[in-house]
Amino acid sequence: MKLYEYEGKKLFSRVGIPIPKGILTEDKVDWSGKAVVKAQLLEGGRGKRGLVKVTDNPNEAIQEMKKLGISKFLVEEFIPHTREAYISIILNRDLGEPIFTLSKEGGINVEEAKDTKQFVVPLERGPKQYDIIPMEKYLNVNNLSSIINGLYKIFTDYDAELVEINPLAITEDGKVYALDSKVILEDNALYKHQDLLKELNREYSSDNYVELDGDIGIIGNGAGLTMATMDLVKLAGGNPADFMDVGGGANREKVKECVIKVGSNPRVKKIIMNIFGGITRCDEVALGIIDAYEIIKKPIFVRLVGTNEEEGWKLLESKGIKYYEDPLVAIGDALRS
Amino acid sequence: MNKDTKVLVQGITGKEGSFHTQRMLEYGTKIVAGVTPGKGGESIYGVPVYDTVNDAIKEHDIDASIIFVPARFAVDAIYESADAGIKLIVVITEHIPVLDLARSLKYAKEKGSRIIGPNCPGLIVPEESLLGIMPARAFRKGKIGIVSRSGTLTYEIAEILKDYGQSTVIGIGGDPIIGTKMQDVIKMFDEDENTDEIVLVGEIGGTMEEEVAKMKLEGKINKKIVAYIAGLTAPKEKRMGHAGAVVYMGMGTYESKVNAFKKANIAVAKTPFEIKDLL
Repeated sequence: MKLYEYEGKKLFSRVGIPIPKGILTEDKVDWSGKAVVKAQLLEGGRGKRGLVKVTDNPNEAIQEMKKLGISKFLVEEFIPHTREAYISIILNRDLGEPIFTLSKEGGINVEEAKDTKQFVVPLERGPKQYDIIPMEKYLNVNNLSSIINGLYKIFTDYDAELVEINPLAITEDGKVYALDSKVILEDNALYKHQDLLKELNREYSSDNYVELDGDIGIIGNGAGLTMATMDLVKLAGGNPADFMDVGGGANREKVKECVIKVGSNPRVKKIIMNIFGGITRCDEVALGIIDAYEIIKKPIFVRLVGTNEEEGWKLLESKGIKYYEDPLVAIGDALRS
Repeated sequence: MNKDTKVLVQGITGKEGSFHTQRMLEYGTKIVAGVTPGKGGESIYGVPVYDTVNDAIKEHDIDASIIFVPARFAVDAIYESADAGIKLIVVITEHIPVLDLARSLKYAKEKGSRIIGPNCPGLIVPEESLLGIMPARAFRKGKIGIVSRSGTLTYEIAEILKDYGQSTVIGIGGDPIIGTKMQDVIKMFDEDENTDEIVLVGEIGGTMEEEVAKMKLEGKINKKIVAYIAGLTAPKEKRMGHAGAVVYMGMGTYESKVNAFKKANIAVAKTPFEIKDLL
């Protein structure tokens, strides 16, 4: 679950990472002097879209952005600085250890940065002074302790997937401030952090649905098979409208919910469903499809094989829903229809 | 793993545990015991149930364990099996928090246990033993080794290759942190006399596929590999289902994987159906 900038900064200030003074607002602010007005959206690239404004009149900037449909703003003091840098922490997949990535350039896409350096900090011990010294030398600043310890604390205490400061401002007198925050919490661990969710007034939403810009609804079980189905549809000349993975061992309710979600997208003209049951049982899938079909009433091309397939086929047949064993035939029929 | 491998099922009385215990028994897997705390003394499909892994190993020889325990308790199940000295632990459970997992995998490794998974379909030696949730219909005895990051896609591809048959099929799981990497399995297939050719099923995210390509390029793998990567049409920085399939920091894109394979002379199939033609 991605946090808003202001939510990430709430965590930053809790663990002692220095941030500019700021106010979250939906309308007017009482402000004097130079300010930075930042639209609070979950998408990146705000700067390029004119949604971060340095101004002496924050209320005017707010009114302008409101016209673009934005409803939440963070107004912050402007921090004059001489340099910008980048710091993030993620779990390195190969090592199974947290890894800090530092760059001398801030505000960039880190994959395009020329000068980056990575520092591994084993989970057993967390960051020590002798980890931080080489990081400070690399960025040529003196006081990274609060930043590094704070990032590590958020990463481990809240089960984050990514905690990123970009840019990190370095002022003329050598102070550091996190000007922006990017925090992604791990969905699988959110159950441990109910207090935080309540405090932020956020609800968990699953990532098993990704909307795309085509017109053919795609549903599969398992991320790999669902992606492969999208790829097959695309290679056959169709345009996927989404990625929807019903997940492992989906039951009737879950399948129904997924088919309705995909089918309710007005752009979706037909649905291709590709199920190979292992832990998922085809009879449960069939029941879910039947329930949803009566509600969405869009053509659905179901490829259904695997665990309890015969029970599943019988159920679909009894409702006159055609099923396939071969996914290519199902996709072919769907694209021709 | 073979037909004589003696298996313990952790979480044997749960919905998934009991269902798949029955399936595995039907397949011929030697399941000798199960564990569910609080259900010790019961039995299910003739398999005795114990409260702890330690109770089970006092009564039975156990070579491998398979975990169906829900995500919140699965990490403890890994520690328990590792502490009991079980050499092969297959973790079917999905949605285990990754930091907890990273710690437990390291611990298990230090104890000398090999972990497959988590969030994986397990492994199968067709017509001998099934340690997982794979549907039997897709598999036949043969000489192709399949290693895969994706569960259901593995079934699909095994079925497409049914005429060839398979020596061993291993689903390593799609999470960012896993117990056994693709490189390890490929190495084992390369040394396995029952395997003639290797099929690698990857997806976007991570760099395991690129590592395999590097091994092939350096001449460390002798057998032929045919690869397929899911996620050609996946948008970048969007998470496609489970946590592994996301491109972070430009690493592990579809293009980077396919290019690495091409450089190493590994044939890449555009669709699962093309694998057949490339073998």
